[in-house]
Amino acid sequence: MTDTAVRTPVTAVTRPDNDRWLTLGFAAPATVVLALLFVLPLALLLVASVAGPAGFSLAEYGRLTTPHYLGVIWNSLRLAVLTTGIAFAIGYPAAFALARARGVVRSALLATLFLPLAASVIVKAFAWTILLRSDGIVNTVLLALGLVDEPIRMIFTETALIVGAVNIFLPFMILPIYAVVAQLDHRLVDAAATLGASPAVAFVRVVVPLTLPGIIAGVALVFSLSVSAYVVPTLLIGERYPTLSTTIAKAFLLARQPAFGAAAGVVLLAITLAAVALSARLGRSGGSR
Amino acid sequence: MSSPDGAPHVVIRSVSKRYGPLTVLDRVDLTVARGELVTLLGPSGCGKTTLLRLVAGLATPEEGAIAIAGRDVTRVPPHRRNVGVVFQSYALFPHLTVAGNVAFGLAVRGRPREEIDRAVARTLSLVRLEHLGSRRVSALSGGQQQRVALARALAVEPEVLLFDEALSALDRNLREDMQVELRRLLREIGATAIFVTHDQDEALTMSDRIAVMNGGRIEQLADPKTLYARPATLFTLGFVGQSTRVRGTVAAAADGVVTVDTPVGRLSAMGHFAAGSPVVVAARPEHLNVVADAAGHDGGDRARNRVDGRVRAVIFQGSRSRIEVEAGGETLLAELPGRGAADLRPGDDARLVWPVAETFVYPDPEARP
Repeated sequence: MTDTAVRTPVTAVTRPDNDRWLTLGFAAPATVVLALLFVLPLALLLVASVAGPAGFSLAEYGRLTTPHYLGVIWNSLRLAVLTTGIAFAIGYPAAFALARARGVVRSALLATLFLPLAASVIVKAFAWTILLRSDGIVNTVLLALGLVDEPIRMIFTETALIVGAVNIFLPFMILPIYAVVAQLDHRLVDAAATLGASPAVAFVRVVVPLTLPGIIAGVALVFSLSVSAYVVPTLLIGERYPTLSTTIAKAFLLARQPAFGAAAGVVLLAITLAAVALSARLGRSGGSR
Repeated sequence: MSSPDGAPHVVIRSVSKRYGPLTVLDRVDLTVARGELVTLLGPSGCGKTTLLRLVAGLATPEEGAIAIAGRDVTRVPPHRRNVGVVFQSYALFPHLTVAGNVAFGLAVRGRPREEIDRAVARTLSLVRLEHLGSRRVSALSGGQQQRVALARALAVEPEVLLFDEALSALDRNLREDMQVELRRLLREIGATAIFVTHDQDEALTMSDRIAVMNGGRIEQLADPKTLYARPATLFTLGFVGQSTRVRGTVAAAADGVVTVDTPVGRLSAMGHFAAGSPVVVAARPEHLNVVADAAGHDGGDRARNRVDGRVRAVIFQGSRSRIEVEAGGETLLAELPGRGAADLRPGDDARLVWPVAETFVYPDPEARP
């Protein structure tokens, strides 16, 4: 009795201590890399954005509130919201199809999702320009079929931009949702049915809440990817549709206005962080009901 | 306390179910009276779970009809049947609290808030979980989850409760307690229930009647005592309770008693078979008495079977002992209560004696016609 009473606290104290050091040890390399390569540049960016010629200044942020740059912010948000919305509308049912598929069909579907990820986004965006050009494949086919009399203008339109963005970012919507749907216990749907829930009600009350973590992850991923997309708007729509990303690049590379570029970068970062924070919050409240 | 009033409540008529070339249910008939507790007992693959799913509406039969409370529901989807199902792994909604799970059935029926709250409180107290309503279901023990699943099914006041191996996930002691408690509870509220299980003890404890299923058919439908005392088929005998058996050929038949030549000697049993039929003679081990002195005094008693042999093993099992007796190259099993086998040793001569009335005889399934 006495022995146990004396020994127990000792082990109880040393064990977590060892664990903590071990955990810190494992996390250290990643922490150093993140601090040096991520936090430090961002801190410098933040400093640069408020560094005017005569010390601290919010002038660059002021420029961002002019109608032109509010339009740029709006363009970025519009691209992100449309891309995310359409990718979700396509991706959510696709994730269920993927989870239901078996054997060869499932492998083939997974391959069509993963293989594009191996190709560079520039390659994929160029592929879309080839498809959508006036003398591109789509127009050639439409003309040959006699469906149109002259080539339709597709490239450098918002439609092309959204189609391309949805195509390129769709796997990031489908995969997290698929991961959750594949885990879904179908007996829960059976249980809902026997309790009086029609298929539609069971979907809304059981399937959607249980797949919410996947939905939130997919939406957060696609939103933050598309709101900050640079290659896709540059190649598929160009100057006609300036976004925060293209504006930042121009400020740094062409206009030599690093302070303005830094300010736009901070705004873009804030939008992305807000989206991620909001989805994390939704995920928590959705999970704890 | 209420008990079955005899009015047919669930009527299953000549129901067949096939999955591709596989016939899972083959023209099954079963009627469950209002307030009756019926168990579908059988090994995995016998069709018992499929039959339960047909009653729940989670599957549709190719042939036959199912009626619940006088309404033909054969083609009615599950959400319009008003059944309560307790699933094997409980299938509780992980995103809802205990109360949320119990309220689900009433909530999807669009019942008013106060009514739902009252029903949730009532059913939770029925399963003695009234203090856990706000808990997450993942925070509960297996036994508590089982109660939540039951409460959820009870809350909608279903016409029939269906239990699919509902107790099999619990450990042994808890399972036995739950069997007794569940039976008492279902009796109290006058529920009509169908259980599916492969556990014979559960079936014997819980049921008014047991349907023993094998290969998509009901082998025997009877109350537990009859099922145990008079198994209609060799399969039922083997599936419910212990048995000891020996193969043989009918030598003579008269007045409902057959005499069978077996490797252990000539045995008599209650049954109707023509002379020459290949049969299996069987008995419950607890009916076999072991008499150490082979020179018995009951030599002329025609109401008893006798087999002389040698004790091969005595296995002490606490409240009883199992004795294996070898005779004519076969091993027969006897079961003696308490310390009845205290003076038996392996190698002893022994005589097995048991009543002809407790001897069963079945056609030999392995004999060529």
